[in-house]
This record gives sequence, structure tokens and C-alpha cells, in this order.
Amino acid sequence: MTPLPPHGSLRRRSVLRALGVAASRVLVPSLWLGALAAPGGVRAAEAELTAFDVSRDEDGVYLNYAVNFELGKGVEDALVKSVPLFFVAEAEVFRDRWYWRDRRIAHTVRVWKIVFQPLTSTYRVTTVGGLSQNYPTRDEALFALSRSSRWKIADAGQLDDGHHYVEFTYRLDITLLPRPMQIGISGQSDWQLVVKRTQRIN
Amino acid sequence: MSDEPRVGAPAPGPAPLPGRSSRWAWVISTLAAVGAGLVLAFLLGVATNNPALYERHYVWLFWVNVALASTLVAVIVVAGVRLLWRVSRGRFGSRLLLKLAAIFALVGILPGVLIYTVSYQFVSRSIESWFDVKVEGALDAGLNLGRGTIDAIVSDLATKTRLAAERLGESASSAEPLSLERLREQLSAKEIAVVGSAGQTLLATGSATSGLMPERVPPQMLRQARTQRVVSQAEGLDEDASAAANASARVRAVAVIPSSNFALGEQERFLVVTQSIAPGLAANALAVTNAYREYQQRALARSGLRKMYIGTLTLALVLAVFGALLLAIALSNQLAQPLLLLAEGVAQVARGDLSSKAVFKSRDELGGLTRSFAEMTTQLSEARELVHKSVVQVEGARANLQTILDNLTAGVIVFDRNGAIDTVNPGATRILKLPLSAYKGRRLDEVAGLDGFAQAVWQRFELHAESPEAGERDHWQDSFELQIGGSGGREPESITLLVRGAAMPQGARLMVFDDITELVSAQRVEAWSEVARRLAHEIKNPLTPIQLSAERLQQKLGGKLAGADQGMLDRSVTTIVNQVQAMKALVNEFRDYARLPASSFDSIDVNALVVEVLGLYGAAQEAGRLHAELAAGLPAIVGDGTQLRQVIHNLVQNALDAVAEQADGRVRIVTEAVRNESGEARAVRLLVVDNGPGFSEKVLKRAFEPYVTTKKKGTGLGLAVVKKIADEHGARVRVANLGASGEDAGDAAPGSARGAQVSLSFSKLAATVRVAANEAVAESRLH
Repeated sequence: MTPLPPHGSLRRRSVLRALGVAASRVLVPSLWLGALAAPGGVRAAEAELTAFDVSRDEDGVYLNYAVNFELGKGVEDALVKSVPLFFVAEAEVFRDRWYWRDRRIAHTVRVWKIVFQPLTSTYRVTTVGGLSQNYPTRDEALFALSRSSRWKIADAGQLDDGHHYVEFTYRLDITLLPRPMQIGISGQSDWQLVVKRTQRIN
Repeated sequence: MSDEPRVGAPAPGPAPLPGRSSRWAWVISTLAAVGAGLVLAFLLGVATNNPALYERHYVWLFWVNVALASTLVAVIVVAGVRLLWRVSRGRFGSRLLLKLAAIFALVGILPGVLIYTVSYQFVSRSIESWFDVKVEGALDAGLNLGRGTIDAIVSDLATKTRLAAERLGESASSAEPLSLERLREQLSAKEIAVVGSAGQTLLATGSATSGLMPERVPPQMLRQARTQRVVSQAEGLDEDASAAANASARVRAVAVIPSSNFALGEQERFLVVTQSIAPGLAANALAVTNAYREYQQRALARSGLRKMYIGTLTLALVLAVFGALLLAIALSNQLAQPLLLLAEGVAQVARGDLSSKAVFKSRDELGGLTRSFAEMTTQLSEARELVHKSVVQVEGARANLQTILDNLTAGVIVFDRNGAIDTVNPGATRILKLPLSAYKGRRLDEVAGLDGFAQAVWQRFELHAESPEAGERDHWQDSFELQIGGSGGREPESITLLVRGAAMPQGARLMVFDDITELVSAQRVEAWSEVARRLAHEIKNPLTPIQLSAERLQQKLGGKLAGADQGMLDRSVTTIVNQVQAMKALVNEFRDYARLPASSFDSIDVNALVVEVLGLYGAAQEAGRLHAELAAGLPAIVGDGTQLRQVIHNLVQNALDAVAEQADGRVRIVTEAVRNESGEARAVRLLVVDNGPGFSEKVLKRAFEPYVTTKKKGTGLGLAVVKKIADEHGARVRVANLGASGEDAGDAAPGSARGAQVSLSFSKLAATVRVAANEAVAESRLH
């Protein structure tokens, strides 16, 4: 795990992304006439990667990570009120290209849905298209969805001799919420829970 | 709405404007229709509350709307800026356009804003009203009710299970299927099992036994049961569970079976009791949960929903307003177009531009108006063209008339109603030798020297107006003798005018006059010829007998008389004979003048002729009074030798006579060829020049009339004969006085004349004009 050297294409890519994100963040609310300005002064949900590890063996590329975060007040409120929330972990593997945008050779996504069941006071975590499990406490439930180990993000055959890197994003995905709610919470820092990491594969 | 093709384009065809504006109207209406359709679809998506459809189309609909709105904004901004620019530039018609557009825009925007305001209030209020505290409370209560019921079941089952487990432990007759079955009936449980510490089923009874093995108890539950003696929980009430799963909603309780005999190694056992929850209860509880969740979700999304509705409304308003604005501009364009067309046409007509006007192609009154205007303009233009044409014709006619007038030899004067001079032609000026054109607008009798003439003419006009003579219905004719040119020390000149007068429309009067002085002179010549001929005839007849009688008297009486008588007789007879001879000569001269012998034209060398004639004047030549300067290489002319000989003779004699009394009198006879620019001989000129006293002006004017002479002796027929012969030869005769320098000074005062000159120009040359000569011959023979 060497720290990522400054790389032109990487920077370019991230700039583009940042632009896109900024555009969407600025445009969408402002187009809705900014009727209700985003409430300021609310502490943004903080998230940090407590563990992040990319390993490559003969089978492929594996990722271990753990995210530690605290939900913002608004998000917690919504969770308690039995609104389903979605957390998304996304890993992309890129191949360096000096002459063009770097080529994405793999893209894997994991989505978790967490919902509070007031009838039984349990938290139910469902990996989309997969298993679901009940947890009696929120911490347990969040713990379950905030980490993965040996997550295979690329096959060995997809990689070649060149230089590769992984872009990892873990976020609270509000785009999967109902649209009116998206519009309602857009621009609220409570709901902006995102952590990113870019890492070279050696 | 591009500017570009400026209006100043030539060839104003029938209005490109309507086509363009209708195209624009099409574009705009299409745009508006698309926009309205999109808005409707958007509203439909919202209204039907079909989240799938709505979410699938939301984004692109939104962006398309935004794009449309931006396009509309751009178009409106462009159109508005253009309109304002035109207004500021004072472009014609822009104010009307602006006014119309403002009116239409107001009509479009006001209702839109009103509806928007009402809708805004409605949306914000109604969304708030959905989220009622009571509803929320009721949902909470329902949820709590369900939870309470399930909790009660759970705790009840826990208690029962604990008791049953204790009983099982005490009875020690452990694990008999029968007692287990009895226990299941007691508890009305669905399934009862005894499991080992690892969760393995030791003994089971219940509905599940017939089929599958009972569900394995999670170790976590066992662990809890171990510490808390009993644990129970509801299962199968998950939010994502299907309806079928709801039927399997159940409560499971796990209790430790206490061991009575504390034998070592004896296995720890658990009693697991599963009791199903009534499906109705489970379904209701889940329904309440779902409703609660939905409600909370919506409550959270409330502001977003409000924003969305209002955003949609605003977008719709913006689209509607922009559409209204665009339509306003387009409509006002449409409406103003014919008016502008008309106004511009009027302005053009006012400027005098009558070119064909654009027509607005529509079937309404405005179109008709423009059409009528165009027709009117065309008619006006045609009328003007006609007027112009006739003016040109009149101008042409006037120019014609003017040319004719200017080139008339006759004098023409037009008097207006008041008798003032209105029009004078150059002929009048020439004839009267007065600058008559300077007297325009004044009466004729104000012209110096013409007062008598004017009065006479005027009397004649009055007379004609009052009592027209028979045979002169519309004009009168008279001849007047007029003395002119008397001023400036000159001798007044007498001219004869033949004046014809006529009345013109509007009281104007026309006077046409001719200088017939020369005609009168010619008539005089003619009369003289006649007189001479008759006199010659009448006188000549008795002359011979007279002479013969006188000679006979002398013959008979010659020897019979004596002395003085004889002398007297001889003298008398001699006198008679001489006088008769003289008279004969005179008569012959008259006869010659009156009846020149018929000319016989031939090719003549003028020089030879001159030399021949000068042979008769040997004495004068020797005395140095006469000499000839003959140019060499003269072309031959066509003429009668005999007559020309006489001409030369007459001229030379005249000239010698004129200088006879001067000691230094000299006569030159000159011949020369007159050549044109290319050096070709055009005429032959014969000049006889003397340095005598010259002609008096009176004589000069009438030099060629018989009996006009400066000489004391002579008949005065010399120059008359010359003129006559020259006329027959088609030659031009000019008589002039010479100034002191010897130059031609015809206008010089007679006192200053230093000689006279007679020139004869023969333009009929033998070599070139043979045919003309023949014609002349024929002509002369006919006479």
C-alpha cells in the first residue's frame, strides 16, 4: 500500500468528477428556485475510512475496508421514522492511459438497505438482491453494512501488466430515495455522507 | 426575425414580410405547443402520482423544460432587444409594435400570474394540510397498538414457556413425546421442541413434525435464554415480507429446562415454543407499519414535494409567460404588419415615391386596405406617368415650335391680352434690327422707332376685330413701309413689311411679318425689264426712220444751202444722227438688260476670260491704273463666255469709272480658288477692287437695281446686268465698301470707305458639276 503518487490523469478525472458533482449540487437546487435555502450551520455527517486495503492475487483484486461514521441528525430522524436508507459502496478499477482518459476495467457496486421495523424494534439490513438480516440495535446494523472483507472487485483476467488503481467510494445514496424527498433534502449537509479513496494496485 | 435584409432592397416585390411572419408564427406556435405538451406531461406525471413513470421521465422532462425555457428566454430577449433598439432608433412602426406587444403580453401574463399566485397558495397550503397531527397521532397509536399486542403475545408466551420448562424440569420424566404433545395443546402452540445446547432438536412435536424439521434456533437466542432463563421474540413480521410470509408470522420463545438432577455431563436442554400469530393481526400490524413508514417518508419529503410542485408551477408559469410574450410579439407583428405596410406606403407616397406598394396577403379588411392602397398608388402613378408623358409631349411640341419659330425667316410677335409683347422670335429681331426680346412684357409702341408702326398695327387689329373684311375671317394682311435704324447717325433705312395679324385664344394676338424689301426690289427689277423692253421696242422703231430722214435731209439739201445754213444743217443733222445713235445705244442697252441672249453654258477658264477682256483696256493697264492678279491652277467653271465677258467688262468699266477722277486711282482684278478644308476647290472667286470713294449706303442696298448709280453718266444698268447674269450662273455677287486698311468694311460709314469691292463666286465647277451644268443649260433653254 504505497501512497498514491500524483498522477495527471487521476487529477484530471477527479477534477472532472468534482465539477460534475459541484454542477449537480449547484444546479439542481438552484433550478428548483432555491425556494427553501439549505439550512446552514448543520454539522455535516462525518465519515472516515478506518481500514482500507487492496490486495491482488492470482484470482483477482480484493478489497477490505471499514467505514466509521455517525449519522447526521436528519438522517437518524428519518431512520427512526422507518424511512429506508441506502448505503452504497462502489469500487472501480482503472488502467492508466497516458493518451486518453484512463480506462475503467471493472466496476462493482454493493448496496445496502437499512430500515427500522417499529413493530419488532429491529433494524433490518438487506443487501440488494441478496440476504437480509435483522439486528436488534442500530449500531449492530450499521456495523454490518459499513464494512466488507475480501470483496472481489476485479477478476485477474481483467488486469494486465500496466498500472492500475482503484477508486473507492462509500456513501449514503440519496438518489435511491423517493424523488420528492431527494428534492427536499438536496443541499442539506446532514445527508452528505461520502468517503472516497483512490489507491494504486501494485 | 433577422434584420438583415434591409428594407432598401430594390425591386419591391409583393411583400416578403407576410411569408416570413407567418413562418415565424408557425415556429413559435410549434414551440409553444411542444412546451405546453411537455408541461402537461410533467403535470400528468406528478398528478397521477405514478412514481415509476414519473421518476423515469422526471430528469429529462425537467431538462427539456429548462432548455425550452432558455430558448424562449433567448428568443424573447433577442426580440425584445431588437424591438427596443428599433424604438430607440426611431425606426418606423416600432412604437406601434411595442405598444401592441405590450398589450398582448399584458393580456397573456396577467391571468398567468393570477393563476400562479392562487396555485402557489393552494399548493403550499394543501400540502401542509395533508400532514395533520391527528393523522400522525392515529398512525402512531395504531403502530403502538400493534406493537403492544405483539409484545403482549411475546411476553405471555415467554411466561408460559418458562413455566412449562420448569414443570418439565421438575417432572423429570423427561422428554416424553406425549407430555410434550400435551403441553403443546395446553399452550395452543404451533410447535414445541426440546433442543440441545448446540441447538440440535432432541424432541419435537407440532405441525412442523409432519414435514420438515423445526427451524433451527439461532445460537444467539440460546445464549440469551441461558442467561435470562427465557427469551422470546416475534418473527416473520419483516417489512419486506410477502403476504404468504405473513401467514407464517409467529412468536418463538426459548426457555432453559432446569435440570433437577445435577448430574455432571448432563446436557443442558431448552424448550422452544413457537406460536403463530393470527394472520389477520399480522397483516394489520404490517399494514399499519407500512402506512406509518409511508407517512413519515412523505412528511420528510414534504418540503421537497412543495418545492417540486411550486417549481413545476413556476416552470409552467415561465413557459406560459414566455409563450405569451412570444405570441404577443408575433401577433403584434402580424397585426402591425399591414398597418406598417400601409403607413410606410403612405410615407413613401408623401415623399413622392409612387412605385408599386407591397400587399399584405390576407383576406381580412386590413389586407383589403393594403390592396386598395396599392391599387390607388398604382393609379396615381399611372396618372402621374400620363401627366409626365403629356408634359413631355407638350415640351416637345413647344421645343418644336420654338425651333420652328427660331428658324423662321419671318418675324413672329405674340401679344398678350394687354398688348404687351409675349413672344418674339429671332426673325423679328433680325428684320426689325431691334432687340425685341428685351422688350418682352412691354408694349410694342414702347420700342423706340416703332411707335407709329405699333399704332398702325394695333388699329388694324382693332379694325379686324370690329369689322372683319370679307375673305379674311381669321386674319388680316397688310404691308407697311417702315423707317428703321435712324438712330446713331445712320441713315434711316426703309424696309417694307408684309404683316399678317390673327387673333389667338384668350385675347392674345399674333403678328407675323416678312421683310419683302428684296421682293419689292425684285419686282421693281422685273418691272424695269418690262418697261425697258417695251421702251426699247417702241423707241427703237422710230429711231431708224429719224436717222434716215435726217441723213436724207442732209443729202438732199447738202448742196443747196449755202453759208451758215449749210453749216447749221450739217450740225443739226450730225446732232440728230449722234443723238439717235446714242439713243440707239441706250435702247440696245435696255434691250440687252431686258432680254439677254439665251445663255449657252460651257466650260470656261476664268483667267483666260479676264485676260481677253483686259486686252481692251491696254491704255489703262499701261497707265498702271489697272492690273490683274490671277491665281494659277483655277478649276474651270460652267458659264456662258459671252455673258461673263460682259460681266467682267461691266465691272472693270465701273471700277475704272469710279477711280477716273483720282490721280492714284487703281483697279485690281483678282481671281482665286476658294478651297475647303481638304484643299479641294469649292468655288472660283473673281474680285474687282478699286480704291475709289465706295458706295453710299443707300446705293449699296440697291446696287443691283437698274438706274441706281453713283456715276454722272451711264444708265445704271451695269450692275443690274451683272446681277442678272450672276443669277443665271448660280453665282453669288457681293458688293462691299473697303475700309482704310483695305479690309471688307461693309458696315463702315461711307465717308471712311477707301474703295469698293465686287466679288463674284462661281460655285458651279466644270469638272465636278457637269450634270448641274447641263441642268442649268436645260433650264436656261426653257426660258
